[in-house]
Amino acid sequence: MKRRILSILLTAAMAVTLLAGCGSDGNKDEGKSESADGKVTLKVFSNLPDRKNGQGLVEQMIIDEYMKENENVNIEVEALDEEAYKTKFKAYSMEGMPDVVSIWGQPSFLDEVLEAGVLAELDESDYSDYGFISGSLEGFKKDGKLYGLPRNTDVAAFYYNEKMFKDNKWEVPATYDELLDLAKTIKDAGIIPLAMDGGDGWPMAVYLSDILYKLAGSDYASIVSEAVSSGDFTNENFVKATELLKKTADAGLFQNGYDSQDYGTAQNLFTNGQAAMFYMGSWEASMALNEDIPEEVRTNIRMFTMPVIDGGKGTAADIAAWNGGGYGVSANSEVKEEAIKFLNYMYQKDKLSKYGWENGVGMSAQDQTEYMTGDETELQMQFVDAVNDAASVSGTPVNDCGPSSFKTSIESQIQNVSNGSISVEDFLATIGKECK
Amino acid sequence: MGFAGKKKNKITKPLLWFVLIAVAVIQIFPLVWLVDFSLASSTEMFTNGLLVIPEKIQWGNYAKAFADGNFLLYLKNSILINGLAVVLVILVSIMAAFACRRMRWKLSGFVKTLLLMGMMIPIHATLLPNYKIYSQLGLTDTVWALLIPYVAFSLPQGLFLMTSFMESIPVELEEAAVMDGCGIYRIIFQIITPMLKSSIATVAIMTFLNNWNEFMMASTYLSSEKWKTLPFSVLEFTGEYSSNYAVQFAVMALTAAPAVIVYIILNKHITKGAAMGAVKG
Repeated sequence: MKRRILSILLTAAMAVTLLAGCGSDGNKDEGKSESADGKVTLKVFSNLPDRKNGQGLVEQMIIDEYMKENENVNIEVEALDEEAYKTKFKAYSMEGMPDVVSIWGQPSFLDEVLEAGVLAELDESDYSDYGFISGSLEGFKKDGKLYGLPRNTDVAAFYYNEKMFKDNKWEVPATYDELLDLAKTIKDAGIIPLAMDGGDGWPMAVYLSDILYKLAGSDYASIVSEAVSSGDFTNENFVKATELLKKTADAGLFQNGYDSQDYGTAQNLFTNGQAAMFYMGSWEASMALNEDIPEEVRTNIRMFTMPVIDGGKGTAADIAAWNGGGYGVSANSEVKEEAIKFLNYMYQKDKLSKYGWENGVGMSAQDQTEYMTGDETELQMQFVDAVNDAASVSGTPVNDCGPSSFKTSIESQIQNVSNGSISVEDFLATIGKECK
Repeated sequence: MGFAGKKKNKITKPLLWFVLIAVAVIQIFPLVWLVDFSLASSTEMFTNGLLVIPEKIQWGNYAKAFADGNFLLYLKNSILINGLAVVLVILVSIMAAFACRRMRWKLSGFVKTLLLMGMMIPIHATLLPNYKIYSQLGLTDTVWALLIPYVAFSLPQGLFLMTSFMESIPVELEEAAVMDGCGIYRIIFQIITPMLKSSIATVAIMTFLNNWNEFMMASTYLSSEKWKTLPFSVLEFTGEYSSNYAVQFAVMALTAAPAVIVYIILNKHITKGAAMGAVKG
């Protein structure tokens, strides 16, 4: 009996020392954020884990510059990729949200986040001279209050190999029927018409949104938001768009096995010259500068946007484009003012926007005309022209307009409807169920 | 009878060999494939063939993995955390198995069931609640944040294996030990533990392999580089939309290597244990 008591006591003592040891560690960390000598630690939580290429490099460049200019500020970056980022974001919303975080200005992400009240409100009037493209802030607002700033403007496009088109005398299609005819012609020539990343779900959802926008024109936003709020996707435009997607897949526009091949696989079909076209967002304009891609392909990449559809209300100048990713500031940050100061620094016209443009990571959500060097690739200029000439832009793709369960559902079911495993009606009913 | 048996042997043996070789090839191919692609360049990744023959062998992928991927730091963390987890799981599961199987106390059956129930809890369900608890205890971003769940989630399996193995050890052995004046701790560590060798190897391999590639908990409970484990190394080369696949393959090959080595070392004990059990019946 004595022994037992002794062992229990020992165990308890061990547990206490363990916890005490760690507890003091934790306190040290907390104390760091604002210590006596005016040192400030800013925690940045980013969705860009690769800090040496692309957008992640741009972000890191600005952080390094900011630390150089403000010696009392130390910035700690934690980066995870998309899925892990979103999981950890949930954990952080319960406790200890970092000061500056990556966010998405789309209902599928932002609604739940704002409901939890973890983002600080920003003063919109501060940003009047930052050159944000009109309408680009809308996705980051709720009830007229601004909670974040957009980083990019994304445009959905068909990349194509111009040389291949010329050699074979193929024409860039002006209507959707021409596109389907072209698919057959290319296929007969033994080449894959279009490489599609069907494995991930979202590129196909963007494709569907693109078709829908061409069909519904300016009604697109109201049709989508109505459907999402009621869970009723029987609107004829949805039915038509989904049927058209299925018809497209049946016509053989996409490669064999598109429904399970991922981003890299699809892209490499295109960059290896096995596919004539590739459907993706404007961020891939950097392909024209990517030395890993054979020169013959790299220098010949051009793009066109979704052709018009017979009977649709959208014109060629109505393009599918949106402002997705961006940054926000934590509402409970102990160094909120410093965090907002850093946020504003990033969005100075010659930072995110300019560096991004120079590194070819796509278009920013700010006016970029000042940084045109004349050395832009033809592909980059095509995107700039497309945006400048656009009569209207679609806004958020369908998959990001609903709650996160809706996003999951549409992105996992869309391949099934395009390859005929489920019917169009079942597809629309299934995704509708997730909205209720 | 003897004749028939021989004839049967002639047919079954090559068949057996054939099946075993086929299984071996299927098992080993992914590793070969991994190493093959880790030596190619990013553009060579997507060919039609099963394997690529790199134009130039890209050792640079490995150099990059070491330099830019924080490989050595993460390797040290992985080895430390996994090593500690394996030792703790073995220690606790042997003691718990002995307590629940061999000692007589009121709740022994209940405690064993309670511990085994841990097997039914999915890791994802505990992710956020655990984060909250750790964060309030100030344990996030420390080595404990990984060590505690790794041990906790591997313990039920370990306990399960240990108890069933312990049943095959005759009680008489312990009785004899007690008669010779052996204390309880000596019985466990000097009499029982040596006889559990093969099950210890099994538990060690399972615990090690389960936790070696674990990323979900690591990414949620850790934020600074100090304790990050090897799977984070792959992440360093993941871009927003597309990634540097060649270097990722190199990192994965390097990550897989220690796991394969551990398996090869301990594998002998597993087969030995199984064979011995079969003969003794």
